[in-house]
Amino acid sequence: MRTKLLGLLALYLGVSVLLTGCWNSRELNDLAIVSGIGMDKLDDEEGYRVTFQIINPSSSAPTTGAASNRPPVMVVTEKDTTVFGALRKASRRTTRQLFFAHTQLLIIGEPLARSGVDHIFDIFERSHELRLNTTVLIAKNSDASSVLKLLTALESLPSTGLVKKTQNTARVWGENRKIGVFEIINGITSEGDFTINGIQIIGNAEEGMKKSSLEQTEPLAGSYMSGLGVFKKGKLISWLNGPESRGTQWLLNKLEETNVNIDASDRKEDISVNIFYSKTAVKVDLREGKPVFHIHIREEGSINEADSFVDFSKEEELGKLKKELAEQTASEVKMALKAAQEKKADIFNFGNELKRTHPELWKTVNKEWDSVFAEGELDLQVDAYIRGTGMRLKPYIPAEKRE
Amino acid sequence: MPKQTKESKTAEMANGKEQSPPIFENIEENLNQIQSKLGNSPDLIIRYYESLDHANYAAAVYINGLIDMERVEDYITHALSFDSLQEKAESAATALERFSFAKGKALSIGKEKIVEDQNSLLEGLLSGDTMILFQGLTKAISVSTSGGEGRAVTEATTQVNIRGPKDSFTESLSTNLSLVRKRIKNPNLWIETLTIGAVTKTDVSIVHIHGLANEAMLQEFRKKLSEIHVDSILESGYIEQLIEENKYSPFPTIFNTERPDSVAGNLLEGRIALFVDGTPFVLITPATFFMFFHTVEDYYQRYDVSSLIRLLRFMCLIVSLFGPAIFVAALNFHQEMIPTPLLINLASQREGVPFPVVIEVLLLEVTFEIIREAGIRMPSPIGQTVSIIGGLVLGQAAVQAGIVSPAMVIVVSLTGISSFATPAFNMALSIRLLRFVITFVSAYMGLYGIAIVGLILIAHLCSLRSLGVPYMSPVAPFAAGDQKDIFLRAPLHFMKIRRRLLNPKSSVPGTTTQIRKDNPHEN
Repeated sequence: MRTKLLGLLALYLGVSVLLTGCWNSRELNDLAIVSGIGMDKLDDEEGYRVTFQIINPSSSAPTTGAASNRPPVMVVTEKDTTVFGALRKASRRTTRQLFFAHTQLLIIGEPLARSGVDHIFDIFERSHELRLNTTVLIAKNSDASSVLKLLTALESLPSTGLVKKTQNTARVWGENRKIGVFEIINGITSEGDFTINGIQIIGNAEEGMKKSSLEQTEPLAGSYMSGLGVFKKGKLISWLNGPESRGTQWLLNKLEETNVNIDASDRKEDISVNIFYSKTAVKVDLREGKPVFHIHIREEGSINEADSFVDFSKEEELGKLKKELAEQTASEVKMALKAAQEKKADIFNFGNELKRTHPELWKTVNKEWDSVFAEGELDLQVDAYIRGTGMRLKPYIPAEKRE
Repeated sequence: MPKQTKESKTAEMANGKEQSPPIFENIEENLNQIQSKLGNSPDLIIRYYESLDHANYAAAVYINGLIDMERVEDYITHALSFDSLQEKAESAATALERFSFAKGKALSIGKEKIVEDQNSLLEGLLSGDTMILFQGLTKAISVSTSGGEGRAVTEATTQVNIRGPKDSFTESLSTNLSLVRKRIKNPNLWIETLTIGAVTKTDVSIVHIHGLANEAMLQEFRKKLSEIHVDSILESGYIEQLIEENKYSPFPTIFNTERPDSVAGNLLEGRIALFVDGTPFVLITPATFFMFFHTVEDYYQRYDVSSLIRLLRFMCLIVSLFGPAIFVAALNFHQEMIPTPLLINLASQREGVPFPVVIEVLLLEVTFEIIREAGIRMPSPIGQTVSIIGGLVLGQAAVQAGIVSPAMVIVVSLTGISSFATPAFNMALSIRLLRFVITFVSAYMGLYGIAIVGLILIAHLCSLRSLGVPYMSPVAPFAAGDQKDIFLRAPLHFMKIRRRLLNPKSSVPGTTTQIRKDNPHEN
């Protein structure tokens, strides 16, 4: 009995030493937590310029000690032909080992995006530290490192701030969505093309690196979410802006909430409708070699502001507004599709939809889907509903008192 | 009757002698014998009583301090005042008649018996009896007059409650038994008394409810007690350690309590209680793991409140067992599982702390244990000072000195407080001990190590038995019907069925039928 027990104990200990998956203990203060990675193309040679935004813990969190005047992050740049090479090389510049499990942001400079991004995501799938839900942004009109160097107001960590910005605008405005590495890899490996959010620097990028930029009510530099970059064959070919990018979200059924301004009978775009529910159903069909996109959008919104004096207690007034809302939505969707068709880039997953639902039809067109897609026709149906008019039904100035 | 043979056997064994010399006819000889055997101890009191005609005389012998003086005086005036007999029997009073007269009077006092050998004489003296010896007779009257100094019944100090009876056991065995008797007014409450300890001759009482307690279990328990051969039993803890089945397990398999209501409740569940003279702590066996997390108050409060508090206690068990270990594992091995803002926060707190996380944990844990131990041992005015200094050391000062991080203070203090949420102190101690082991393993192997130790612990717990009952019952082996009173406490009207794993005997005579009728396991 005793020997058996001892034997079991020895077995447990032996197995436990052999099976240790994550065995290496690392103290927290030996880690340099990387919050964001930036990748840029080198002008003359092969490889990348990789920028790491490293969190400086002593100045980015409330501590009991004296407040540090150092910026919350430091940025390290290294050049190499591979990302991993660059990150190992970075050890020459950092006091601690780079730790990637909390990397939330990947920024790709526009020049690199234009030359192709297909291959740079490999390390995200291969490494156990990097996460596949890392948000990806394209630095519009600039390189990635300048974006990573910008300090942000409100959020102490710029990378976290940019991720939150993406999520926030996606939730309430709807021109962008949070696009992660996983989604992009899906886009690369499946039929069709994909989009990535753009981020644009406003103001003086040089000043934005300094902490003094934040010591005023309006920072000297900042960034804003700017449209969607259209990728075809892994290369950035154009940008979708404003209504086009919102139309794209609509077609992808990714719209959460947005605001649509619609025309009242007397004035233009003066009634604000908050869309709080939207669902898009897509069916793709081939008719005489040409694809037909059957899109059905059902949206629900409530009126949040009405500059015109519309009496919402009247059914026909609301009916008009519903029609107006549907038209407005339809026009944005059409703009998005038109923009994509011009570039022959199927960013709406229509190719996948056709492949999934009509595999035998897909075989006839998959060779030249790009050009086939560009000739596709839209069969759009929008059902718009207005579910509420806020706390007031009639305008506060009655019709007879107005001139 | 097996019970009596058992008792007499044990008594014989405790005496350690086969034959004991009879009492001499000469009273002086007897008294000399007693005095020499007790080493001429000054607390041995001998009082002589002579009849008026000088024909007879008797002596009352007792040990001062062990007896209730009032009762002795009372008895002696009644039984040994030969003068009051004068009118009735002038000359006829022979020694034998005096003896039976005194014996008759003894009945008014309470328990009395006749002893005929010297050993019983001494034994009786030492347990507080008063001995009446008569000139010319080879027997003596032993009157139960034990009493003396004792503590009054006060509020429990180790198991405090808000709602419920406030009395608790004292050091006196008879008081303790009566406290339980008062709660269970039933002839089936059976008490067996035996003596353990070759030198101390400590009285212990096995208490059970006949018909509810399992007979085989009882037999086993008696056997275990009879196998104890030690010189001294100074506290029930001695017996607890001597009869434990799993001597090398960190977990206690015998429950102890100083609350009479807790004992009564457990007796009614079919358990066996062991009262030891001289201690307010009563042992209860068989004990299961979950017993240590239940309090009597759970049953006095409403079921919803009790259930939530019980869940809280189990949560505290997890925290106090794994708290620091999980913290160490997360910080050293699994940084990716901490939310980013929290990780940055923790990283900033650890800036400037010179020690690895494990050392930090140990520093604080050991400090905490020192303060706890010192606080208990110190007299209460100094105890407060200890806790103030401890608060300073554990709190802000250690952080400001840059020795530990603020988050660590939170983890350790939360763990410490959680360990106090376990109602049974001995279980809390075991958990505290295991916490150190688990912390070490987690510093070596991370969450993986915690999982290994956790599994070993569970396996070990499931392998334990207390008097034949699986320690983890009724969770492992699982008994669906008994889950009503484990993690949650069902409303009382749902709990009419007795716990099956304790195997209460199916039929019970007499007055306990009220509960029995609802028991479907009867038939």
